[in-house]
Amino acid sequence: MKRVLSQCLKELNQFRRDRLTVALAFILPLAVLLVYGYAIRLEASNIPLSVQDFDNSSFSRTYVARLFATNQFVPTPLDSTEPTSALDRGSAKATIIIPPEFERRVKARKPVTVQALVDGTDVNNARVIQNSLRAANQFFLRSSGLLPEHARSPIQAQVRLWFNPGRHESLYIVPGIFGVILWVFPSILSSIALVREKEQGTIVQAYASDLSSAEWLLGKELAYLIIGLGEAFVVIVVAMLLFGVRLQGDPTPLLLGLILYLSAAVAFGLLVGARTGNQTGAVQGTAIAGFLTALLLSGFIYRLENIPFPLSLVSNVIPARHFIQITRDAFVRGTGWAGIWYAPLAIAVIGGSFFWAATRILHRMQFPD
Amino acid sequence: MRLLHSLFTSRLWSLILKEIRQILKNRQIIFLLLFPPTIQLLVFGLALDPEVTHLSLGVVDYSNSPASRDLVATLVANDVFQVQTYQPKVTELGQQVRRGQVSTGLVIPPDFADDLGAGKVAEIQVLIDGVDANTAGIASGYMQQTVTHYGQRQQRAPDVPVETAVRFLYNPGLLSSWFFVPGVIGVILTLTGSLVSSTTVIREKDVGTLEQLLMTPAQGWEILMAKIAPLFVLLMGDMLLASAIARLVFGLPFRGNYLLLLAMSGVYIFVCIGIGILLATISRNQQQVILTSFFFNVPLIQLSGAIAPIESMPTFFRALSLFDPLRHYVTIARSLILKGGGLGALLPEVLLLVGFAVLFLGISIHRFRAQLN
Repeated sequence: MKRVLSQCLKELNQFRRDRLTVALAFILPLAVLLVYGYAIRLEASNIPLSVQDFDNSSFSRTYVARLFATNQFVPTPLDSTEPTSALDRGSAKATIIIPPEFERRVKARKPVTVQALVDGTDVNNARVIQNSLRAANQFFLRSSGLLPEHARSPIQAQVRLWFNPGRHESLYIVPGIFGVILWVFPSILSSIALVREKEQGTIVQAYASDLSSAEWLLGKELAYLIIGLGEAFVVIVVAMLLFGVRLQGDPTPLLLGLILYLSAAVAFGLLVGARTGNQTGAVQGTAIAGFLTALLLSGFIYRLENIPFPLSLVSNVIPARHFIQITRDAFVRGTGWAGIWYAPLAIAVIGGSFFWAATRILHRMQFPD
Repeated sequence: MRLLHSLFTSRLWSLILKEIRQILKNRQIIFLLLFPPTIQLLVFGLALDPEVTHLSLGVVDYSNSPASRDLVATLVANDVFQVQTYQPKVTELGQQVRRGQVSTGLVIPPDFADDLGAGKVAEIQVLIDGVDANTAGIASGYMQQTVTHYGQRQQRAPDVPVETAVRFLYNPGLLSSWFFVPGVIGVILTLTGSLVSSTTVIREKDVGTLEQLLMTPAQGWEILMAKIAPLFVLLMGDMLLASAIARLVFGLPFRGNYLLLLAMSGVYIFVCIGIGILLATISRNQQQVILTSFFFNVPLIQLSGAIAPIESMPTFFRALSLFDPLRHYVTIARSLILKGGGLGALLPEVLLLVGFAVLFLGISIHRFRAQLN
């Protein structure tokens, strides 16, 4: 134990002396937090909408006014008589075409169809636009008394959104960012540290000493866990100040999950470092594998259930997936152990196997058959 | 003919040959050019799917009548919701929503059928897990629409006087891969391009062979040109690989002029090479190159609209994104691949992209030459 501790102290001293890396280790996570936290908003607001009004009556103008009253759309001019011109150029995301004789037909109680052309490129927003156009249509009907009383729906759905009644997207995105940042940076740092020893040949000194490969790795693991905890502290405090996320309920699952998750990240970095020969390869491997999986296979952006079959199996062994469930629970849901007891367990198993694999590789390097 | 002859016997040509030989010998670069782009394209295209289907629904049906069962059947009819459990009590349903076991809860009160029969307004309760704000919004909108529709049908109401008929252009099937893949092609060119070019330059600096090159009569611009030319060809190869995957695996339509797309990708590749050389000139070793490239690439990708739409960003970030060359490339690629737009509709983006290419190459060449002297 004492040998592990002194190895850990040596590692921390070495880290502290490299000023640039220290600066990057704390500034890069914050930069990622800011860019992701502010720039990822899935649901569009300010959707540019152009209108082609062939009727140009007071009725059709009310219809258009109702659309823009939802505050989701921004009026954009059509550049020509061609209804798709603004969509083609990308200056509008939707175009509404109000047919001639709109007012006359509505007053004569004949059904009218308003055509909406929606840019389907961005799939998520195409759906959001469709929903808001339909809702605005209903709103128009009701407010201009076009829906006879007996056509009102006899069923009222009282919808309540739990945990996030204001539907703030930051409450969804920010806890996810913790998962990405606290995986990528600790693992990059530990993989660089291990490969540097290999490149500079100082690893041979460890071979020659009476440290076992597990003790040697454990020292590194502990040192980078401490650095990772520092990063986590900075990132979480800044996120609480800037994005207004707050701890809900019992903080112990988050605390335990955080320690296990950071250890798993550091162990992953050590494993990649043990396998690859040079620094570029190590950083490449950890950065690409870490970023890709933590971003795409963890449910960070879209629902986990949408990941198709063979990839969905892979996502089970991605620690970020489990950790993001812990952070979302700690910062939004607040259920505590009852809801997520299995997540720290899964992270511990995955992280443990990373560490075990790293010691095996180092052991084989030390004593080749 | 003479021009060609003088090219092949020139110093530049032999430098280019040297660079090609060096790259082909370096298996790591070949690996970087082939493996990560393919994986990224496949994973992005397959795993990112915003579709809202099969949301787990928990039902507490106190009414337990034909009318209430009919309502549930209507809700699950087109697969947005999927009944996961029937619970006897609201408290148990609440517990399940709290633990995240079901994402939507529906409570039908005991007098539901009676109220409907008596022509009164029947109230139902819906609980939606709002943690995922985006999904919750779509689910709640869908729930309201279906319930309203169902109620109107019960009344045999006359047709609604004004209806909106929505038609989706460019991507009528609303396939999410059609949205992501053109953007990811841009992301791949950015990551691979800046990385490969910065690595080739910094290695020469690391190993010290740059000094040897300086001893030769070759000019600074010749050294740099010889570095850029083979990288450009290799990255164009990457672009062809990516569009082959886009076409064959994801069935993207490629409606616009493909040659124009290739030309614009070429311009964008110059931007990426410029960024890569710039990174190499401001860092001292490979480790620093990779850390500083995070500084450039994360905002570059995030502000480009490749993953999250630009319109929904706060005003400041929307303005900032205009300075992001990747944003303009993604707009061009989406337009050429999905919309079939021509040069006319894309002129501002094309001009900006060319401007960025000149700017980044100019700055990086300038800095490179300054370091050589």
